[in-house]
Amino acid sequence: MSVRRKGPRATMVRILTYGILVAVALVVIFPFVVAVSTSVKRNTDIFTYPPSLIPKKATTVPASDVGLTGENLPVYTLPGFDGSFALVDDDTPLAEFTALDDPTRVVVLAADQGDKTGDTTNIDGEEEDIFAIVVDGETILAYRSRLTVGGLFQSLDNAALQVPSLVNSAVAKQEFGPRFENFSEVVTEKKIGRSLTNTLLVTIIVVLGQILTSILGGYAFARIDFTGRSALFMLYLGSVMIPFVVLIIPLFQLMLQLNWRDNLVALIVPFTFTAYGTFLMRQFFVGVPKEIEEAALLDGASRWRILWQVMVPLARPAIATLATFGFLYAWNSFFWPLVIINSGNPDSFVLSLSLSTLGGRSSTDTNLVFAGAVIAMTPPIAVFLFAQRYFVENSASSGLK
Amino acid sequence: MSAVSFTGVTKSYKDGPKAVDDLTLNIADGEFMVLVGPSGCGKSTALRMIAGLEEISGGTLQIGDTVVNDIPPGDRDIAMVFQNYALYPHMTVRENIGFALTVARVSKDEIKRRTDEAAELLGLTEYVDRLPKALSGGQRQRVAMGRAIVRSPQVFLMDEPLSNLDAKLRVQMRSEIIELQARLGTTMVYVTHDQVEAMTMGHRVAVMRKGLLQQVAPPQELYLRPANLFVAAFIGSPAMNLLPARIDSVNGRITATFAEHTITIDQAAIDKYSKVPDYVGRDVVIGIRPEHFAMAEDTSDPAQTIEIKSVVSESMGSEVHVHATVDVPPVALDGQPVNEDADANASTTKIIARVEGFHIVRMGQIVRLAIKTAHVHFFDATTGAPLRDDDERTA
Amino acid sequence: MAGFTRLAPGQHRLGIEPGLRLVSLWHVIGALAALISVGLANRDGNDELPVAIGLFVKVFSLGAFVANIAAVIGVHRVIRRARSVSLAVNYLVFVVAAAATLHQLGFFTAIGSFGEGFNKAFVPFLFIVVGLVWVLIAGQLLSVRPTAAGPQGLRKAGWGLVAVASVWFVIKTEPSGAISTGLDRLFRPLTLAVLAVTICSAAACKFMWARRIARHFGTTAGEEAALSGLAFLSPNLIGFTFFFAGPLLFSLVVSFFDWKTTGTGRDFVGLDNYVRALSLDFSSADNGNAGTEVLKSGYQVLMHLDWFGQHWVVGARDVEFWTAMRNIFIFLILAVPAAVLPALGLSSILASKLRGMRVFRAIYFVPSVAGVIGVAIIWGQLFQSTVGWINYLIKRFAEIMPFLEPPAEGHPWLSSDSTALLAMVVVFAWMSFGFNTVLYLAGHQSIPKELYEAAEIDGASTWQIFRRITVPQLRNTTFYVLVTTSILALQLFDIVWILSTPEPGGPDNATTTPVLALYEEAFQSNSQGYASALAWILFLVIFGFTFFQFRQQRDEATSGGVS
Repeated sequence: MSVRRKGPRATMVRILTYGILVAVALVVIFPFVVAVSTSVKRNTDIFTYPPSLIPKKATTVPASDVGLTGENLPVYTLPGFDGSFALVDDDTPLAEFTALDDPTRVVVLAADQGDKTGDTTNIDGEEEDIFAIVVDGETILAYRSRLTVGGLFQSLDNAALQVPSLVNSAVAKQEFGPRFENFSEVVTEKKIGRSLTNTLLVTIIVVLGQILTSILGGYAFARIDFTGRSALFMLYLGSVMIPFVVLIIPLFQLMLQLNWRDNLVALIVPFTFTAYGTFLMRQFFVGVPKEIEEAALLDGASRWRILWQVMVPLARPAIATLATFGFLYAWNSFFWPLVIINSGNPDSFVLSLSLSTLGGRSSTDTNLVFAGAVIAMTPPIAVFLFAQRYFVENSASSGLK
Repeated sequence: MSAVSFTGVTKSYKDGPKAVDDLTLNIADGEFMVLVGPSGCGKSTALRMIAGLEEISGGTLQIGDTVVNDIPPGDRDIAMVFQNYALYPHMTVRENIGFALTVARVSKDEIKRRTDEAAELLGLTEYVDRLPKALSGGQRQRVAMGRAIVRSPQVFLMDEPLSNLDAKLRVQMRSEIIELQARLGTTMVYVTHDQVEAMTMGHRVAVMRKGLLQQVAPPQELYLRPANLFVAAFIGSPAMNLLPARIDSVNGRITATFAEHTITIDQAAIDKYSKVPDYVGRDVVIGIRPEHFAMAEDTSDPAQTIEIKSVVSESMGSEVHVHATVDVPPVALDGQPVNEDADANASTTKIIARVEGFHIVRMGQIVRLAIKTAHVHFFDATTGAPLRDDDERTA
Repeated sequence: MAGFTRLAPGQHRLGIEPGLRLVSLWHVIGALAALISVGLANRDGNDELPVAIGLFVKVFSLGAFVANIAAVIGVHRVIRRARSVSLAVNYLVFVVAAAATLHQLGFFTAIGSFGEGFNKAFVPFLFIVVGLVWVLIAGQLLSVRPTAAGPQGLRKAGWGLVAVASVWFVIKTEPSGAISTGLDRLFRPLTLAVLAVTICSAAACKFMWARRIARHFGTTAGEEAALSGLAFLSPNLIGFTFFFAGPLLFSLVVSFFDWKTTGTGRDFVGLDNYVRALSLDFSSADNGNAGTEVLKSGYQVLMHLDWFGQHWVVGARDVEFWTAMRNIFIFLILAVPAAVLPALGLSSILASKLRGMRVFRAIYFVPSVAGVIGVAIIWGQLFQSTVGWINYLIKRFAEIMPFLEPPAEGHPWLSSDSTALLAMVVVFAWMSFGFNTVLYLAGHQSIPKELYEAAEIDGASTWQIFRRITVPQLRNTTFYVLVTTSILALQLFDIVWILSTPEPGGPDNATTTPVLALYEEAFQSNSQGYASALAWILFLVIFGFTFFQFRQQRDEATSGGVS
């Protein structure tokens, strides 16, 4: 194509091309990045504006840094001071002084600071003692407008500097801090662990069943010339046309009759047969040279043996494709589990169902929901990346999503 | 080892002509039988019927004393080498050769012994642990043969086994197969479309056309005494020159006239084709093999000489092929020219003369060719039957 | 044929004649059992059996009776086809009896309960997986060098790991409870009876299947092929019948009934369900405020229209369904181009085989495999009105652009009925375009390269090449992509289920879809008959799209190429 041309104009075109591709890739990747970041955030961190991709936690320093013992201390910055401060005491009595000559000048000091001058002044009809306080080396006269409790901040740079201040006027320092406990919490507390193993169990059995039935059926359709074969094959092809919603109600009724409702078996047995997989395997087997099979026939092998010892080893790519499709379909399916696992007993939940319950309209633990979502999305994406070759090559000819 | 015999075997499909029509053919125990014919002649179908890969629509097929019509392929104890070798791609050479034995539940030691033996015989010993994709064409071909011989079957079947090889390798494998068959003494049925292979390899050759058996005979017999026009045209390279001609009798000598040429036929030819005198005054087809032409010398009988313009000449070193055209339409059989590359609607027929290598023939040069008329063949123009009494079309 | 006999000499075998006599006896028993079963199913007052199953039992039993009798006669007279009949009967009986046995043993429900054991034994399971991967890697190495000692050892070690981990796995799943329950159930008379039937029919099958029996009956190769073909296909075919074809017919039947999941009121209502769903009433009105009063009774206002200066009130009996239909068509019109056009453009770029295209292709594909629930949850957060990324990015963008006024506050995408459906369109398109891109890429591969080369020699521009060669050559692919995407779009459910607020389909039914309506009718309002009718209506709509695709696919399939 023209992008292969050379010259300055072609270079421009190429840059533009990559620009478009990267832009779209960003649109695709960004939501996943948001998901991963949210899954390791603290819940308070999620609902801050502006949104951020970086999970944060409060910065702390060991108590020993400021010559104390005990738990780690949170770190703050203080307005008007350089450097960071550790909050060494959050229960320090504080006094708020207001300058006499300038009522807007308010200074917070430790409660025991300031010298009583012995004079008083009348503020709003109240007698207040006048204090002499030292601010930035200057002594000013002020009255004590409020007594409160606040924090004592110890500078991390200057051991001599201790600043008493109101905690809410200090800014807590934050640093990069993913919270991986989200994952363990969602697995244990929200029972995602059980859903995960349930999903895995269902997926494995469905995929194995599909492979087995598709190999057998595909081989019969491809290589055994029996009466009624073409009619049956057309029926199979036609069945791909039927949308699943048409089957939902009768299958539900059937599951009721079999007493399979709320049981994982309802997610397994009806889905171990696939017209699509049979079709895929048939297409592959049709393409295997007939002579190989005839040679095996002459070698005395039965059809059964030919299938398993000659055809199946050759069909590995097709089987891998089928397994990948089956895996993704079974792992991600939602509508049918929603219908048939409906008693609210989480022991039969699969991941998609748990997630929808967990992340539903009344959800609160957004970080846990996202941890669950990441758990649910990782296996199919990983399987896709591993099996990409089979998957991308065959989705085109599959005719099924 | 056993004989194979077809008795009135027919293969017909629902809609379409019979692939094999009333085939009766006895292949003796230990014989190397070649089935030859143009594509679609039914030779492969016949072979696959022996293998059991094609159902038999009518007649009986026997291997040894057993009628095998309804016996599945695996129970017939035959081995087959396919044109594309049909090796199992996922098995090593050893596993490929030993597969039949594995299926038959032969002990592991025995399998190893026999596969080693077969590999040794075919010079594959150092390749036994390779996969087919790591082998050359000739080696794959050998593996396919190894797979056949390891079972010591009653009959070997080979379906154009050499056609995927290059020319040089083909010649080499040809002699190897002949040697192998002679050594093992197993009955062999070999299908090919290449008449050179057929002539060089078979004890006997069966020529087929459109499902019908034309002639079964040792190679030399086929060449010297073709049973009909088709066999005459098919066997030999370059092919026999076939020309429509009129038979006359001049002074008690039989002459044949085609276009402006008239030649007098040697009595030896009339002795072989004893019906020719009955055809005086009628049109027949005469056949002259290219080697039965020679550059005319001064001593040549003018009555057996023709003058003709050379169109092309090909020097082969030891001999020169002189191509010329004769103004007669090409001989046809069932509406198709017998010579495969002839144009059915042409008004001239190409002939090829094979003369000795020292002659220099230029394009467009008029050459005088002497014909060894003792070796001329005669066929009925409509039926294609040879004008002989002793029709030996027996199998 | 020495050396090729399959059976070792001296192996004990049942003779043909006594064996056939036993099989005949078995068929006689079968015929009698079938008769009894017909009688039981016909007994009056057998109300607890649902109609369909009762009918199935009757038909099946009657068929079994006839077939058994035929088999007895045929086997007795050694008629060629009798072997096929006997095999078919025995096989079907075997399948039904085996399923019944497993059901009686509680096997199927035990699969579900196995979830707990599997959860407990998850760690050993992971070890099994590691072992299998190990074996797989060794296998890959061996396929290159089949006799290399290293990989062979590796493979053995892998299998060893699998074996050890499997034992550990079994122990951790604590199977003793299940085994004792199974044993307990095994010794019930009914279980033993069906088990006996299973074993007998299996034995009869095995006996009749043997080659010597085939020869005895003179079975032809064609019959043999039919038998083995159906045998190979049978697991598939049984599933197909039981879980697809049967339910499909049943669904059609149910759609003609006023059918509840529970309760006995299952009245045949004919086409009423369909009529109710599809009924519309157009009524002209003088003013824009006219409502239900101008419509026929039972109808509710669907929408107001102003056509030709006349005000119309459109009413429907099932307003939700019609709203859903309207929504889905708006969705279709927006979402399909949004999911297809980018795919067309991107695939044209990717097809140029520049460096790194495979990476981009893989990236674009990821949303379609990630799972719709997770994806919807992510987008729910992105669309969040106060702290969502979308509003934030819009604001930042507006700040950068000189002529745009940054919005004062974030737009509530999902809770505003004018944009909720649009948000679904975005999510749908984001999920599907990658798959479509890959479909298009396959289409690109079938365009002859010479066309591009010729066009370049002719001096065509990139756009001209795209417009005049790529697009027309991709016509078939486009058609296919459009149809498959439309089918998916018409079945929209999952995204809406997660994203719509405050309740599914909200706000104010702005995102209700037909499948959602169907779900609510069937599983929340419990009117499964009506819901089935909705399903079939939806099917007919989808059928219109699918039919073309089906024909195209059939042409490809019957051409027999390998994919």
